[in-house]
Amino acid sequence: MSLYDPERDRVRIAGRWLRWSVRWVLAPALLGVFVSANVDLRSMPFFGSERLSAVLFLDGQAYFGHLDDSGESGILVLRDVYYFKNSSGGASGLPVGLVRRGTEAHEPADGMRINRDRILAVERVGLTSPVALAIQVEREITRTSPAPLSLNQISLAGGGALATQRVAAEHVVQRAWSAAADQLGKLNELVLPVSKTEAQAITQKALADLRTVRRNALAAIASATGMSPADAEAYVRATDPQLEGQTFANEPGVLLAPDLDAVVNRAAQLYAQVGDAAAKQLTQPRTPSPTPSPTPTASPRP
Amino acid sequence: MPFTQWWDFTLPALGRAQYQAVFLANGQTYFGRYYDRIGAFAKIEDVYYLQQTQGSDPTAAPDTKIVRRGRELHGPASRMLVPKSAILFVEDLTDASPIAGFMKQEGR
Repeated sequence: MSLYDPERDRVRIAGRWLRWSVRWVLAPALLGVFVSANVDLRSMPFFGSERLSAVLFLDGQAYFGHLDDSGESGILVLRDVYYFKNSSGGASGLPVGLVRRGTEAHEPADGMRINRDRILAVERVGLTSPVALAIQVEREITRTSPAPLSLNQISLAGGGALATQRVAAEHVVQRAWSAAADQLGKLNELVLPVSKTEAQAITQKALADLRTVRRNALAAIASATGMSPADAEAYVRATDPQLEGQTFANEPGVLLAPDLDAVVNRAAQLYAQVGDAAAKQLTQPRTPSPTPSPTPTASPRP
Repeated sequence: MPFTQWWDFTLPALGRAQYQAVFLANGQTYFGRYYDRIGAFAKIEDVYYLQQTQGSDPTAAPDTKIVRRGRELHGPASRMLVPKSAILFVEDLTDASPIAGFMKQEGR
């Protein structure tokens, strides 16, 4: 009769423990280490704050939005898209302005399918960057509300960011007003073909028109930022005199939300139109209205 | 491979330099720590690039400086994903490289 009991064999017991440890401790631990080292938790759906991506194209264009790369076909989908437009020389003081995709002539629907081969790089947009703040304020302006359940929850601007953008828009409107008023002043320094009194009258009328444009721009800013008509009126009455005489010349530019950018660009266009009309009146000599000269008419011979 | 932003499986690269220069199809060059990932995208961490500014004298050569990516209007994070189709070639920077030296100093 053998005294060997395999159940009590120490080597076998150690082997069983070893197999159990490898299967239930070591393998999961290694898997955990591998996953934690290679999975970006901040990028996972439902986790953390909003993930805004910047997609840079080979041709230099940049688009911002929610990137969906779940497809296998080499096509990436970008949703809730914003992009830069050239605005160098504009009143904002920045070389670019932000535009919301969908407002173009062909009114594209949300969801831009991008060929991966045309992409230069993909980056994560910082949530406190000027682009992200402008997008958050735009959502606030367009009353976009976060979905109850979303893979990538959108973030909205707080009241502080909205107020910052509103003030920045006011300053841009006033900066453009000052430039237009300066232009009128320089024209008046030239030798003009109109009399001093006429020049003064034209200039005063143009300045009054510029002020009207400024007030309308402030009303549009108030309306865009969600003020009621009564609040907007009070805001315009209070803000317009505060802006008078200010230039904000050395103030750094702020990237505005697309809707606010549209308001200040429209104001700048109208300022230019008023200035051009006044310049035309100031630089063209007033000619007396032509009177019909008596022309000899052939009288019927008797 | 889909969901490229969720995971970050990089291929181990032994014996390579600390920093690389990544030359892209549009003529741009990025400097940083380059990682070959599984799938269509490669990754560059702590990205720098060269910026040229023309001085007041148009006949003079433009000033060139190295800029750390992150202070742009969209405040990009330190990780940049680049489609491998957009990469022309990648080079290691030697320890004697002034760009590598600058990045090392900045990274401290």
